[in-house]
Amino acid sequence: MEGASTRGVLSHLSLLEVQARSRKTQPQQRSRVKELKAEAEALMIQRDKLKAEIQTHERLQKLRMSMDKQCPREQEEEEEMDEDSEDSQLLRLMARHTHLKDLLHAHHLIGGYDIIKTHQGKGVCVSVATSYEGVCLDTYNLEIDLKPKLRISRHNVPPFIPLNSLAEQSNMQTNIRAFLDTLSRHLNAFAGRKQQLKLLKEQHKSVEVMESNVLCSILVLMLTVPREKTAVLCTLDYTDHTRCLPTRVHFDCEDKELPDSPEWKKNCHLLMETPVHTALLTMKKMGNIV
Amino acid sequence: MDDSAKRLLQRFMRRIPTQMLKTTLEKWSRLTVAQQKSLDFTQSKWALTEALLDICEENKWTTKHISELEMIYVIDNPNQGMWHAFQLMDPEDDAHSVELTQFKEQFKSHLSELIRHVSVKIKKHTDEAVWIRIAWGDSYSRPNHLKPTYVVHYLQTPYVFVTSLTSKQKPLLSQALVLSTRHHAIKDANLSGKKFTAIRDLLMRQYQQAFPTKYPSPLKEKNQTVSNPLIEREQAGPAANRLQMACEAFGDGMLPQLQSAVYKLETKFRDQTNKTMTEREESFRCVVKFASTNLLESLRDCASSGIASTPVTPLLSSIPLKGRNYFVITDNSPGPSSQMHQKTDG
Repeated sequence: MEGASTRGVLSHLSLLEVQARSRKTQPQQRSRVKELKAEAEALMIQRDKLKAEIQTHERLQKLRMSMDKQCPREQEEEEEMDEDSEDSQLLRLMARHTHLKDLLHAHHLIGGYDIIKTHQGKGVCVSVATSYEGVCLDTYNLEIDLKPKLRISRHNVPPFIPLNSLAEQSNMQTNIRAFLDTLSRHLNAFAGRKQQLKLLKEQHKSVEVMESNVLCSILVLMLTVPREKTAVLCTLDYTDHTRCLPTRVHFDCEDKELPDSPEWKKNCHLLMETPVHTALLTMKKMGNIV
Repeated sequence: MDDSAKRLLQRFMRRIPTQMLKTTLEKWSRLTVAQQKSLDFTQSKWALTEALLDICEENKWTTKHISELEMIYVIDNPNQGMWHAFQLMDPEDDAHSVELTQFKEQFKSHLSELIRHVSVKIKKHTDEAVWIRIAWGDSYSRPNHLKPTYVVHYLQTPYVFVTSLTSKQKPLLSQALVLSTRHHAIKDANLSGKKFTAIRDLLMRQYQQAFPTKYPSPLKEKNQTVSNPLIEREQAGPAANRLQMACEAFGDGMLPQLQSAVYKLETKFRDQTNKTMTEREESFRCVVKFASTNLLESLRDCASSGIASTPVTPLLSSIPLKGRNYFVITDNSPGPSSQMHQKTDG
């Protein structure tokens, strides 16, 4: 205070002012440091997290590699190695999950056909499943060589399905998916027609099958009109081999007017639009046939 | 009843085993119940033949009726004689719409245009097979019913199966078939055997084929009695692998019964120690024939037991793969007429 008295009041005041100001800023600086420290800590935590993530990812990748290779021995080794780590179980599950997800994706990409590699990756074996009205029917297989170009080396598709011309028409070399889709349509339609014929024979003993063929593309039935007992010859043509329904329905009868009657015109529509065994059931219920 | 009808019936009776006679006559459905009852099937064949001859005489039945009877028997027992497969080529656009009535008419008319005396009978079997019985004559003689040709065709498929066909009749049949099925050509499919069903199943792919699928059908393991469990474990892997490859090459389960496979070699003789043979200009010809009561099963067994190496050589796996059992093997370089190129070494 002595010094202050010598220098004067004003200078002392200004000194006090400076002191007061500096006293105000000091806590401000201190909080700034704190903030930065917290940020650094957060970043460090994030870094550790990312590091851990990278590590997990790397380990996942490793697991995936061994899974893709499908080498059981390697997997065994891995298991032994990771036995002490507590997340290894989880990791393996995660790896399996991504593996399955990728497989599912690939399965969608190839149109849902079961495909497996054969001859150490030099070929594939494709399974085309058929079904009709929710009933699984025959499965057909194709073994295809991949190099030098796609070539069907072995298959169990019956000879009345024109496999080679379908392959040519749908450009198998460049678009295998289109080829498989066409083939699947042909096979499913054939299986469906065959199944319909089987159901027809089982369910309608009063209907006589006069004609059919191995491709099930022609069906001639002998129907009987109840009271008059007139016989009606019903011809179903399945010209479109990719469909289960006929493209033409024709009735032959001694009574020339019968096919043109409104009732039988309706029957014709029915046969065109519904599977033959169910159409016959309806016709029976309506009292049009025995 | 004329002589030829009589002889046809006598021959038929000689061929058919007595225990099958009753069902065949029932299927023929020409005999009345009384006639059927009058036949005593415990009698000797000779007596039965006489009784049937009398009934035929009574009803004035001709060769037409007797050949029907024969046809029923052959359709039910097709594994007789030697069957040859043919393949129809280049179908026309409307080939897939050929139906039975149309085929029948066309075939008969085409064949009778080619040859004056011919008798054709066509019958459809329950499995959609069209059976054709042809009794051939020539310009001067009437059809010989004692040596008929049988032809089986499934409409809409490219295959035709034929038995008892002479080389003279072959072009006639070929032409009638090609025209009536709406194709452009027919060729020998290089497959033959005593069992019609085997040849049909092989070409129509009606036998169980094995494929490397994701969910493999468990191939039946054979009951091997190996005393040492270690040896068993060591060998189980390769053995299962061999079985899988053998089944993929030849098929799974019951296999079509082929009796033989013939390989005709027209190759260069290669052996440095034998100069005279190696330097010969013309090709070295030889025929290799494999024969067995069930060839495919034998081959599959050879491969699965390790007698033949796996993967199976294409020479053998071509039998089921291509559906043929006659191959001509030539060297790869010249010879454009070869049917199956195969490099032969050593």
